[in-house]
Amino acid sequence: MATIVEAVNLKKTYMLGKVPVNALRGVNLKVESGDFLAILGPSGSGKSTLLNLIGALDKPTEGKMLIESVDVSTLNDNQLADLRRRVGFVFQFFNLISRFTARENVELSMSIADINRAERRKQAEDLLETVGLKERMNHKPAELSGGEQQRVAIARALANTPRFLLMDEPTGNIDSKTANEIMGLIKRLNEEKGVTIIMVTHDQRLATQAKRAFQMFDGVITREIVN
Amino acid sequence: MKSRDVFSYSFSAIKLRKLRAGLTTLGVVIGIAAIVALLSITQGLQDTITRQLQTGFATDTLIVSTGGGFGLGTQGGVGVANSGFKLSVNDTQKINNITNVEMSIAIIQRGGSIKSGEKVRNITIVGVDFAEYAKIYGSTFVAEPGGDIPLNPENETVVVGKRVSDPWKNETLLCNVNDNVEIAWLNATTLPPKEETYTGYVTAVLKEIGGFGVGGPSDSGVYIPISQAQSFFGTDECNMIIVKLTSDDKATIDSVSEAIKEAFSSQVSVTSATAVLNILSSVFSIITLFLGGIAAISLLVAGIGIMNIMIVSLMERTREIGILKALGMKSRTVLLVFLSESVIIGLMGAVIGIGSGWVLANVVAMVFRGGGIFMGNQAAGTGGMTITPVLTPTVFLGALVFGVGVSVIFALYPAWRASKLKPVEALRYE
Repeated sequence: MATIVEAVNLKKTYMLGKVPVNALRGVNLKVESGDFLAILGPSGSGKSTLLNLIGALDKPTEGKMLIESVDVSTLNDNQLADLRRRVGFVFQFFNLISRFTARENVELSMSIADINRAERRKQAEDLLETVGLKERMNHKPAELSGGEQQRVAIARALANTPRFLLMDEPTGNIDSKTANEIMGLIKRLNEEKGVTIIMVTHDQRLATQAKRAFQMFDGVITREIVN
Repeated sequence: MKSRDVFSYSFSAIKLRKLRAGLTTLGVVIGIAAIVALLSITQGLQDTITRQLQTGFATDTLIVSTGGGFGLGTQGGVGVANSGFKLSVNDTQKINNITNVEMSIAIIQRGGSIKSGEKVRNITIVGVDFAEYAKIYGSTFVAEPGGDIPLNPENETVVVGKRVSDPWKNETLLCNVNDNVEIAWLNATTLPPKEETYTGYVTAVLKEIGGFGVGGPSDSGVYIPISQAQSFFGTDECNMIIVKLTSDDKATIDSVSEAIKEAFSSQVSVTSATAVLNILSSVFSIITLFLGGIAAISLLVAGIGIMNIMIVSLMERTREIGILKALGMKSRTVLLVFLSESVIIGLMGAVIGIGSGWVLANVVAMVFRGGGIFMGNQAAGTGGMTITPVLTPTVFLGALVFGVGVSVIFALYPAWRASKLKPVEALRYE
């Protein structure tokens, strides 16, 4: 299987005021197509920083972040934006645009990718059907429950057929019953549609749903768990 | 992102904050309305004055007078030469000999009064050769139906302007055709000053001219034959000589002007209609610039308002920008999104501003019309002047471009800041 994501001795230092923080201190990992990887760790362990680097939202201080064999550090602003279109982000706080309906939110990422109106409308409807939200597609985020909002976010992330999904605590902000449903959806996407998923969580229980899990602590991967 | 999508995205952001966008737009509306109103009124005023000048002042004529030129809107206000040089009625012969001069006529005028029954009115008595005057001012020295301007008038013949016949514009006539009128002036050359009078006979009332004549016929003039004026005023000295040229091109005007000055050893001044119009035009450009500048300041204030609002909006929407960037939006597109918001506000403000400025200009013009403004020193006689505001395509387009331009320029900085936001930091922003 093709390697989609590869981190080589990845280091990231940022300034918190005047204090340098070593968020990542040499991370190595490889994610292959069709994988479902969980990154597990307490807060401050560097897992979100790692996710931002994988999603090309940030550049490493040292080491290499290769996405489909391309070193992110060598890309300029525009190229990074192009790369991000091929990555599907799902955030803990959904990050939907509140003035748009569910469908418009899904359409937004496609309109950024220059897809024409008719096509993106149809695709948005299909994607919302996939996440089981077709009936509510004309509702705005405020009219949707947390679980429903996260489904919209997942549908949005799936638009533009991304190489992989990056999920940052996708169930961190919803109740446990809905969280199970969302996890079911994520697993189905991985198993049935072959979507590659990299998920960050601090919940040991959720990590067991993934095929593999990395335990992170203090900016390094301390162990790998294969479920 | 396609430009239509950029605009529709920006529009949705504006729609979300209607009140705020409305107030920001209002700033632009006020600025543009002020510019449009001021400029279209000024343009209207300029057009009115130019038209009126052209009515009473043919472009192929020169006015020769003693002293340093003449004042606008004054009938008898031609300066008297300091040197004591006086123009005589016979000087027309000297001028007629100059090349490119078709003809010239002398004008003697004095302030005086006209009396008909119990009604008296102060007017300007103008002595001219009726036949030649009618040749130069063929379109204005024309009688109303029922009257007749005799080419070989009797001494008692009197032709009056429309405002002399009907001074109150209400058909209560002071005098009319076939009326006997008493013409009077105060002769101050004798001691004690003596009022000279004679009884004239009105043969014609001039058609309404509307302009304020300079040399040419005016609504407030009383016209008597030049020979009668010479004997009535007891002088051969004339106030001005109107010279009709064979052409109104600049070369002819300049060469004849020079020749006339030379013929009178530079003791006269020669004024051409074209020169007056040019001076007027340059005066109006200055006024336009000045008023436009004042109005532009209000638009500048609106621009600062836009910038202020955009910066606030930028802070509120930092997270949104983070999301857009995470979804793959390029920095350039983020910049365009913010700029197109300002284009929408600027465009709406400019269009509404042009409309309301135009309405405002017309309201002001109507108020002026109601109150009446008077030009010259003979207010009652000159009559009210109407201003019709003129919105030239230049002002229209200029206002549009300026409104949108100011909005965009002031949005540049906030938009640039938005585009430079780092996605990671923007997403973390609360």
